[in-house]
Amino acid sequence: MTNLIESLEYPFVRYALIVGVLIALCSSLLGVTLVLKRFSFIGDGLSHVAFGAMAVAAVIGLSNNMLLILPVTVISAILLLRTGQNTKIKGDAAVAMISVGALAFGYLIMNIFSSSSNLSGDVCSTLFGSTSILTLSISEVWLCLILSVTVLIIFILFYNKIFAVTFDENFSKATGVNANAYNLLIAIIIAVIIVLAMNLVGSLLISALLIFPALSAMRIFRSFKSVTIFSAVLSVLTAFSGIIISILAGTPVGSTIVAVEVIAFFLCYLIGYIKGGQKA
Amino acid sequence: MKKAASVILSILLLFSLASCTANEGGTSQKGKSESADQIDVDLTKLSKTMIYSEVYNMVTTPNDYIGKIVKMKGVCSKYTDEETKKTYYSCIIQDATACCQQGIEFTLKDKDAKYPLNAEEICVIGRLATYTEGEYTYCTLLDAELLG
Repeated sequence: MTNLIESLEYPFVRYALIVGVLIALCSSLLGVTLVLKRFSFIGDGLSHVAFGAMAVAAVIGLSNNMLLILPVTVISAILLLRTGQNTKIKGDAAVAMISVGALAFGYLIMNIFSSSSNLSGDVCSTLFGSTSILTLSISEVWLCLILSVTVLIIFILFYNKIFAVTFDENFSKATGVNANAYNLLIAIIIAVIIVLAMNLVGSLLISALLIFPALSAMRIFRSFKSVTIFSAVLSVLTAFSGIIISILAGTPVGSTIVAVEVIAFFLCYLIGYIKGGQKA
Repeated sequence: MKKAASVILSILLLFSLASCTANEGGTSQKGKSESADQIDVDLTKLSKTMIYSEVYNMVTTPNDYIGKIVKMKGVCSKYTDEETKKTYYSCIIQDATACCQQGIEFTLKDKDAKYPLNAEEICVIGRLATYTEGEYTYCTLLDAELLG
Protein backbone atom coordinates (compact mmCIF):
# COMPACT_ATOMS: atom_id res chain seq x y z
CA MET A 1 0.00 0.00 0.00
CA THR A 2 2.88 2.35 0.84
CA ASN A 3 4.44 1.62 -2.56
CA LEU A 4 1.15 2.41 -4.25
CA ILE A 5 0.79 5.74 -2.46
CA GLU A 6 4.41 6.58 -3.24
CA SER A 7 3.89 5.71 -6.91
CA LEU A 8 0.86 8.00 -7.12
CA GLU A 9 3.05 10.92 -6.13
CA TYR A 10 4.74 10.75 -9.52
CA PRO A 11 2.93 13.02 -12.02
CA PHE A 12 3.44 10.61 -14.92
CA VAL A 13 1.64 7.88 -12.95
CA ARG A 14 -1.36 10.15 -12.37
CA TYR A 15 -1.40 11.13 -16.04
CA ALA A 16 -1.25 7.46 -17.03
CA LEU A 17 -4.17 6.56 -14.78
CA ILE A 18 -6.35 9.43 -15.98
CA VAL A 19 -5.64 8.89 -19.67
CA GLY A 20 -5.75 5.10 -19.36
CA VAL A 21 -9.13 5.14 -17.66
CA LEU A 22 -10.62 7.50 -20.23
CA ILE A 23 -9.25 5.49 -23.16
CA ALA A 24 -10.55 2.25 -21.65
CA LEU A 25 -13.96 3.86 -21.14
CA CYS A 26 -14.18 5.04 -24.75
CA SER A 27 -12.93 1.71 -26.10
CA SER A 28 -15.47 -0.32 -24.18
CA LEU A 29 -18.42 1.78 -25.33
CA LEU A 30 -17.56 1.39 -29.01
CA GLY A 31 -16.44 -2.18 -28.45
CA VAL A 32 -20.03 -3.25 -27.86
CA THR A 33 -21.00 -1.82 -31.26
CA LEU A 34 -18.07 -3.50 -32.99
CA VAL A 35 -18.76 -6.90 -31.47
CA LEU A 36 -22.43 -6.75 -32.45
CA LYS A 37 -21.58 -5.62 -35.98
CA ARG A 38 -19.13 -8.54 -36.29
CA PHE A 39 -16.18 -6.22 -36.74
CA SER A 40 -14.16 -7.33 -33.71
CA PHE A 41 -10.89 -7.35 -35.61
CA ILE A 42 -11.19 -3.85 -36.95
CA GLY A 43 -9.11 -2.71 -33.98
CA ASP A 44 -6.20 -4.81 -35.15
CA GLY A 45 -6.51 -3.63 -38.72
CA LEU A 46 -6.73 0.04 -37.88
CA SER A 47 -3.94 -0.14 -35.30
CA HIS A 48 -1.64 -1.64 -37.92
CA VAL A 49 -2.59 1.16 -40.29
CA ALA A 50 -1.75 3.62 -37.52
CA PHE A 51 1.59 1.87 -37.04
CA GLY A 52 2.33 2.23 -40.75
CA ALA A 53 1.38 5.92 -40.64
CA MET A 54 3.56 6.37 -37.58
CA ALA A 55 6.50 4.85 -39.43
CA VAL A 56 6.02 7.25 -42.33
CA ALA A 57 5.66 10.20 -39.92
CA ALA A 58 8.90 9.24 -38.18
CA VAL A 59 10.77 8.93 -41.49
CA ILE A 60 9.59 12.28 -42.84
CA GLY A 61 10.44 13.85 -39.50
CA LEU A 62 7.09 15.18 -38.39
CA SER A 63 7.39 16.81 -34.98
CA ASN A 64 3.88 15.69 -34.09
CA ASN A 65 3.13 12.34 -35.71
CA MET A 66 -0.57 12.63 -34.80
CA LEU A 67 -0.92 15.01 -37.75
CA LEU A 68 -0.47 12.03 -40.05
CA ILE A 69 -1.60 9.08 -37.95
CA LEU A 70 -5.05 10.40 -37.09
CA PRO A 71 -6.17 11.39 -40.63
CA VAL A 72 -4.79 8.20 -42.20
CA THR A 73 -6.48 6.00 -39.60
CA VAL A 74 -9.77 7.89 -39.94
CA ILE A 75 -9.72 7.49 -43.73
CA SER A 76 -9.00 3.77 -43.39
CA ALA A 77 -11.80 3.37 -40.86
CA ILE A 78 -14.22 5.13 -43.17
CA LEU A 79 -13.24 2.89 -46.07
CA LEU A 80 -13.66 -0.24 -43.99
CA LEU A 81 -16.75 0.57 -41.96
CA ARG A 82 -18.81 3.21 -43.69
CA THR A 83 -20.42 0.90 -46.17
CA GLY A 84 -22.17 -0.85 -43.32
CA GLN A 85 -23.46 -4.37 -42.79
CA ASN A 86 -24.15 -5.19 -46.40
CA THR A 87 -20.44 -5.55 -47.03
CA LYS A 88 -19.85 -7.73 -43.99
CA ILE A 89 -18.41 -10.60 -46.00
CA LYS A 90 -15.92 -8.37 -47.78
CA GLY A 91 -15.08 -6.63 -44.48
CA ASP A 92 -12.99 -9.52 -43.13
CA ALA A 93 -10.80 -9.72 -46.21
CA ALA A 94 -10.44 -5.95 -46.40
CA VAL A 95 -9.39 -5.74 -42.74
CA ALA A 96 -6.85 -8.54 -43.15
CA MET A 97 -5.43 -7.05 -46.33
CA ILE A 98 -5.03 -3.55 -44.95
CA SER A 99 -3.80 -4.82 -41.58
CA VAL A 100 -0.89 -6.97 -42.73
CA GLY A 101 -0.03 -4.66 -45.60
CA ALA A 102 0.27 -1.61 -43.36
CA LEU A 103 2.24 -3.52 -40.72
CA ALA A 104 4.69 -4.89 -43.27
CA PHE A 105 5.20 -1.57 -45.05
CA GLY A 106 5.50 0.27 -41.75
CA TYR A 107 8.25 -1.99 -40.48
CA LEU A 108 9.98 -1.99 -43.86
CA ILE A 109 10.02 1.80 -44.03
CA MET A 110 11.32 2.04 -40.47
CA ASN A 111 14.13 -0.38 -41.29
CA ILE A 112 15.18 1.34 -44.49
CA PHE A 113 14.89 4.97 -43.42
CA SER A 114 15.01 4.98 -39.63
CA SER A 115 17.43 7.22 -37.73
CA SER A 116 16.62 5.62 -34.37
CA SER A 117 19.44 3.95 -32.47
CA ASN A 118 17.13 1.25 -31.15
CA LEU A 119 14.70 0.33 -33.91
CA SER A 120 13.63 -2.98 -32.39
CA GLY A 121 12.93 -1.33 -29.07
CA ASP A 122 10.89 1.43 -30.65
CA VAL A 123 8.87 -1.07 -32.69
CA CYS A 124 8.41 -3.40 -29.71
CA SER A 125 7.26 -0.56 -27.49
CA THR A 126 4.76 0.63 -30.11
CA LEU A 127 3.43 -2.86 -30.76
CA PHE A 128 3.08 -3.95 -27.13
CA GLY A 129 2.74 -0.68 -25.25
CA SER A 130 5.17 -1.58 -22.50
CA THR A 131 5.61 1.93 -21.07
CA SER A 132 4.04 4.25 -23.63
CA ILE A 133 1.24 5.33 -21.30
CA LEU A 134 3.78 6.25 -18.62
CA THR A 135 5.88 8.43 -20.91
CA LEU A 136 3.27 10.85 -22.19
CA SER A 137 4.17 14.50 -22.48
CA ILE A 138 1.76 17.04 -21.01
CA SER A 139 0.60 18.05 -24.49
CA GLU A 140 -0.14 14.42 -25.33
CA VAL A 141 -2.10 14.07 -22.08
CA TRP A 142 -4.21 17.11 -22.95
CA LEU A 143 -4.81 15.80 -26.47
CA CYS A 144 -5.89 12.40 -25.15
CA LEU A 145 -8.16 14.04 -22.59
CA ILE A 146 -9.87 16.28 -25.13
CA LEU A 147 -10.33 13.50 -27.70
CA SER A 148 -11.61 11.02 -25.09
CA VAL A 149 -14.13 13.44 -23.63
CA THR A 150 -15.28 14.39 -27.15
CA VAL A 151 -15.83 10.72 -28.01
CA LEU A 152 -17.77 10.18 -24.78
CA ILE A 153 -19.99 13.20 -25.37
CA ILE A 154 -20.72 12.10 -28.95
CA PHE A 155 -21.56 8.60 -27.79
CA ILE A 156 -23.93 9.90 -25.12
CA LEU A 157 -25.64 12.37 -27.45
CA PHE A 158 -26.10 9.87 -30.30
CA TYR A 159 -26.61 6.77 -28.16
CA ASN A 160 -30.09 6.01 -29.51
CA LYS A 161 -29.09 6.33 -33.15
CA ILE A 162 -25.94 4.26 -32.66
CA PHE A 163 -28.07 1.60 -31.00
CA ALA A 164 -30.54 1.60 -33.91
CA VAL A 165 -27.86 1.43 -36.61
CA THR A 166 -26.00 -1.30 -34.75
CA PHE A 167 -28.92 -3.65 -34.31
CA ASP A 168 -30.83 -3.25 -37.53
CA GLU A 169 -29.35 -0.93 -40.09
CA ASN A 170 -31.93 -1.67 -42.79
CA PHE A 171 -34.83 -0.99 -40.44
CA SER A 172 -33.14 2.22 -39.33
CA LYS A 173 -32.86 3.33 -42.95
CA ALA A 174 -36.49 2.44 -43.55
CA THR A 175 -37.56 4.61 -40.62
CA GLY A 176 -35.67 7.59 -41.98
CA VAL A 177 -32.43 7.38 -39.99
CA ASN A 178 -29.40 8.42 -42.01
CA ALA A 179 -27.58 5.15 -41.36
CA ASN A 180 -24.69 6.01 -43.67
CA ALA A 181 -23.95 9.17 -41.71
CA TYR A 182 -24.00 7.30 -38.42
CA ASN A 183 -21.78 4.56 -39.81
CA LEU A 184 -19.38 7.33 -40.84
CA LEU A 185 -19.54 8.80 -37.34
CA ILE A 186 -18.88 5.40 -35.76
CA ALA A 187 -15.95 4.86 -38.12
CA ILE A 188 -14.37 8.20 -37.19
CA ILE A 189 -14.84 7.62 -33.47
CA ILE A 190 -13.34 4.15 -33.70
CA ALA A 191 -10.31 5.51 -35.55
CA VAL A 192 -9.77 8.15 -32.86
CA ILE A 193 -10.06 5.55 -30.11
CA ILE A 194 -7.62 3.21 -31.88
CA VAL A 195 -5.00 5.94 -32.14
CA LEU A 196 -5.44 6.81 -28.46
CA ALA A 197 -5.46 3.18 -27.36
CA MET A 198 -2.10 2.57 -29.04
CA ASN A 199 -0.58 4.58 -26.21
CA LEU A 200 -2.22 2.33 -23.62
CA VAL A 201 -1.83 -1.23 -24.85
CA GLY A 202 0.14 -0.98 -28.08
CA SER A 203 -0.90 -1.86 -31.61
CA LEU A 204 -1.10 -5.63 -31.25
CA LEU A 205 -3.27 -5.71 -28.13
CA ILE A 206 -5.85 -3.07 -29.04
CA SER A 207 -8.47 -5.64 -29.99
CA ALA A 208 -8.47 -6.90 -26.42
CA LEU A 209 -9.31 -3.45 -25.11
CA LEU A 210 -12.23 -3.23 -27.54
CA ILE A 211 -13.78 -6.67 -27.32
CA PHE A 212 -13.04 -8.22 -23.94
CA PRO A 213 -15.17 -5.83 -21.83
CA ALA A 214 -18.08 -6.21 -24.29
CA LEU A 215 -17.82 -10.01 -24.39
CA SER A 216 -17.54 -10.18 -20.60
CA ALA A 217 -20.66 -8.04 -20.19
CA MET A 218 -22.58 -10.19 -22.68
CA ARG A 219 -21.97 -13.24 -20.49
CA ILE A 220 -24.08 -11.67 -17.77
CA PHE A 221 -26.46 -9.11 -19.30
CA ARG A 222 -28.80 -9.18 -22.27
CA SER A 223 -29.95 -5.61 -22.94
CA PHE A 224 -27.80 -3.22 -24.98
CA LYS A 225 -27.85 -0.58 -22.23
CA SER A 226 -26.86 -3.01 -19.47
CA VAL A 227 -24.10 -4.52 -21.58
CA THR A 228 -22.76 -1.07 -22.45
CA ILE A 229 -22.76 0.20 -18.87
CA PHE A 230 -21.23 -2.97 -17.42
CA SER A 231 -18.65 -3.06 -20.21
CA ALA A 232 -17.65 0.52 -19.43
CA VAL A 233 -17.35 -0.09 -15.68
CA LEU A 234 -15.40 -3.33 -16.21
CA SER A 235 -13.06 -1.74 -18.72
CA VAL A 236 -12.26 1.14 -16.36
CA LEU A 237 -11.63 -1.23 -13.45
CA THR A 238 -9.41 -3.57 -15.47
CA ALA A 239 -7.41 -0.73 -17.02
CA PHE A 240 -6.91 0.93 -13.63
CA SER A 241 -5.94 -2.38 -12.00
CA GLY A 242 -3.67 -3.30 -14.88
CA ILE A 243 -1.75 -0.03 -14.72
CA ILE A 244 -1.36 -0.24 -10.94
CA ILE A 245 -0.22 -3.88 -11.05
CA SER A 246 2.30 -3.17 -13.81
CA ILE A 247 3.73 -0.24 -11.87
CA LEU A 248 4.10 -2.21 -8.66
CA ALA A 249 5.20 -5.50 -10.19
CA GLY A 250 7.37 -4.04 -12.96
CA THR A 251 5.49 -5.73 -15.80
CA PRO A 252 4.64 -4.30 -19.25
CA VAL A 253 1.54 -2.12 -18.99
CA GLY A 254 -0.28 -3.30 -22.13
CA SER A 255 0.00 -7.03 -21.48
CA THR A 256 -0.90 -6.63 -17.82
CA ILE A 257 -4.10 -4.79 -18.68
CA VAL A 258 -5.05 -7.47 -21.20
CA ALA A 259 -4.23 -10.24 -18.71
CA VAL A 260 -6.55 -8.63 -16.14
CA GLU A 261 -9.26 -8.38 -18.80
CA VAL A 262 -8.91 -12.06 -19.67
CA ILE A 263 -9.29 -13.00 -16.00
CA ALA A 264 -12.33 -10.72 -15.75
CA PHE A 265 -13.81 -12.42 -18.83
CA PHE A 266 -13.50 -15.85 -17.27
CA LEU A 267 -15.04 -14.59 -14.04
CA CYS A 268 -17.97 -13.12 -15.97
CA TYR A 269 -18.30 -16.33 -17.95
CA LEU A 270 -18.51 -18.25 -14.69
CA ILE A 271 -21.07 -15.86 -13.26
CA GLY A 272 -23.13 -16.10 -16.45
CA TYR A 273 -22.94 -19.87 -16.36
CA ILE A 274 -24.10 -19.98 -12.74
CA LYS A 275 -26.86 -17.45 -13.45
CA GLY A 276 -28.00 -19.51 -16.41
CA GLY A 277 -28.00 -22.65 -14.28
CA GLN A 278 -30.03 -20.96 -11.52
CA LYS A 279 -32.66 -19.73 -14.00
CA ALA A 280 -33.06 -23.18 -15.43
CA MET B 1 -29.27 8.69 -18.05
CA LYS B 2 -27.83 11.50 -20.22
CA LYS B 3 -27.87 13.95 -17.29
CA ALA B 4 -26.15 11.47 -15.02
CA ALA B 5 -23.58 10.68 -17.68
CA SER B 6 -22.95 14.37 -18.30
CA VAL B 7 -22.42 14.98 -14.58
CA ILE B 8 -20.03 12.03 -14.33
CA LEU B 9 -18.13 13.27 -17.37
CA SER B 10 -17.86 16.78 -15.93
CA ILE B 11 -16.51 15.42 -12.65
CA LEU B 12 -14.01 13.24 -14.53
CA LEU B 13 -12.86 16.22 -16.57
CA LEU B 14 -12.48 18.45 -13.51
CA PHE B 15 -10.49 15.73 -11.77
CA SER B 16 -8.32 15.34 -14.85
CA LEU B 17 -7.73 19.07 -15.16
CA ALA B 18 -6.83 19.35 -11.49
CA SER B 19 -4.32 16.52 -11.73
CA CYS B 20 -2.80 17.79 -14.92
CA THR B 21 -2.23 21.33 -13.70
CA ALA B 22 -0.81 20.30 -10.35
CA ASN B 23 2.89 19.45 -10.46
CA GLU B 24 2.93 20.17 -14.17
CA GLY B 25 6.67 20.46 -13.99
CA GLY B 26 6.83 16.75 -13.54
CA THR B 27 9.17 16.93 -10.63
CA SER B 28 9.41 13.77 -8.70
CA GLN B 29 9.11 14.25 -5.00
CA LYS B 30 10.07 10.76 -4.07
CA GLY B 31 13.26 9.03 -3.56
CA LYS B 32 13.80 9.85 0.08
CA SER B 33 15.89 7.18 1.65
CA GLU B 34 17.53 6.79 5.04
CA SER B 35 19.81 9.71 4.00
CA ALA B 36 16.78 11.82 3.18
CA ASP B 37 18.81 14.94 2.72
CA GLN B 38 21.14 13.36 0.17
CA ILE B 39 18.97 11.53 -2.34
CA ASP B 40 16.19 13.29 -4.24
CA VAL B 41 15.44 10.58 -6.79
CA ASP B 42 16.08 7.01 -5.63
CA LEU B 43 15.51 4.76 -8.61
CA THR B 44 16.71 1.68 -6.72
CA LYS B 45 13.41 1.48 -4.83
CA LEU B 46 11.17 1.44 -7.91
CA SER B 47 9.93 -1.33 -10.20
CA LYS B 48 11.41 -1.74 -13.69
CA THR B 49 8.41 -0.08 -15.27
CA MET B 50 8.67 2.93 -12.99
CA ILE B 51 12.45 3.21 -13.36
CA TYR B 52 12.24 3.30 -17.14
CA SER B 53 9.46 5.89 -17.07
CA GLU B 54 11.25 8.11 -14.56
CA VAL B 55 14.55 7.97 -16.47
CA TYR B 56 12.64 8.77 -19.65
CA ASN B 57 11.18 11.85 -17.93
CA MET B 58 14.61 12.87 -16.65
CA VAL B 59 16.13 12.62 -20.11
CA THR B 60 13.28 14.36 -21.96
CA THR B 61 12.58 17.08 -19.35
CA PRO B 62 15.94 17.43 -17.58
CA ASN B 63 15.24 20.98 -16.40
CA ASP B 64 12.89 19.55 -13.78
CA TYR B 65 15.67 17.45 -12.30
CA ILE B 66 18.77 19.62 -12.58
CA GLY B 67 20.68 19.76 -9.32
CA LYS B 68 18.85 16.78 -7.86
CA ILE B 69 20.78 13.90 -6.34
CA VAL B 70 19.95 10.72 -8.23
CA LYS B 71 20.69 7.17 -7.20
CA MET B 72 20.32 4.42 -9.79
CA LYS B 73 21.29 0.84 -10.35
CA GLY B 74 22.01 -0.60 -13.79
CA VAL B 75 24.63 -1.85 -16.18
CA CYS B 76 27.72 0.16 -17.05
CA SER B 77 28.13 1.03 -20.69
CA LYS B 78 31.38 2.43 -22.01
CA TYR B 79 31.58 4.35 -25.26
CA THR B 80 34.57 5.97 -26.90
CA ASP B 81 34.04 8.59 -29.59
CA GLU B 82 36.26 7.66 -32.51
CA GLU B 83 36.79 11.24 -33.57
CA THR B 84 37.37 12.99 -30.25
CA LYS B 85 38.75 9.89 -28.44
CA LYS B 86 36.67 10.91 -25.44
CA THR B 87 35.25 8.07 -23.33
CA TYR B 88 31.80 8.22 -21.83
CA TYR B 89 30.40 6.00 -19.09
CA SER B 90 26.68 5.47 -18.63
CA CYS B 91 24.42 3.56 -16.28
CA ILE B 92 21.89 1.73 -18.48
CA ILE B 93 18.49 0.45 -17.38
CA GLN B 94 15.93 -1.62 -19.30
CA ASP B 95 12.17 -1.55 -19.37
CA ALA B 96 9.95 -4.46 -18.29
CA THR B 97 10.09 -6.21 -21.67
CA ALA B 98 13.87 -5.71 -21.88
CA CYS B 99 13.52 -4.54 -25.47
CA CYS B 100 14.06 -0.89 -24.68
CA GLN B 101 16.89 0.55 -22.71
CA GLN B 102 18.18 3.96 -21.82
CA GLY B 103 20.56 5.43 -19.37
CA ILE B 104 22.32 8.42 -17.94
CA GLU B 105 25.98 9.26 -18.29
CA PHE B 106 28.01 9.67 -15.11
CA THR B 107 31.35 11.28 -14.26
CA LEU B 108 33.09 10.17 -11.09
CA LYS B 109 33.91 12.77 -8.47
CA ASP B 110 37.34 11.28 -7.83
CA LYS B 111 39.33 11.92 -11.01
CA ASP B 112 41.72 9.10 -10.18
CA ALA B 113 38.99 6.57 -9.42
CA LYS B 114 38.75 3.46 -11.53
CA TYR B 115 35.69 3.30 -13.74
CA PRO B 116 33.70 0.03 -13.89
CA LEU B 117 34.07 -2.41 -16.73
CA ASN B 118 31.67 -2.48 -19.67
CA ALA B 119 28.51 -4.49 -18.84
CA GLU B 120 29.35 -4.52 -15.14
CA GLU B 121 26.41 -4.06 -12.77
CA ILE B 122 26.74 -0.83 -10.87
CA CYS B 123 24.94 1.42 -8.43
CA VAL B 124 25.77 5.07 -8.88
CA ILE B 125 24.74 8.26 -7.10
CA GLY B 126 25.32 11.71 -8.47
CA ARG B 127 23.95 15.20 -9.16
CA LEU B 128 22.02 15.58 -12.39
CA ALA B 129 23.27 18.20 -14.79
CA THR B 130 23.15 18.91 -18.50
CA TYR B 131 25.79 19.92 -20.98
CA THR B 132 25.89 20.67 -24.68
CA GLU B 133 28.17 19.01 -27.16
CA GLY B 134 27.76 19.94 -30.78
CA GLU B 135 24.11 20.55 -31.38
CA TYR B 136 22.79 18.20 -28.71
CA THR B 137 22.16 18.54 -24.99
CA TYR B 138 23.03 15.59 -22.79
CA CYS B 139 22.26 14.60 -19.22
CA THR B 140 24.95 13.48 -16.85
CA LEU B 141 25.45 12.68 -13.19
CA LEU B 142 28.21 14.91 -11.94
CA ASP B 143 30.38 14.23 -8.86
CA ALA B 144 29.20 10.65 -9.06
CA GLU B 145 30.13 7.89 -6.64
CA LEU B 146 29.87 4.18 -7.14
CA LEU B 147 28.11 2.39 -4.31
CA GLY B 148 28.53 -1.16 -3.02
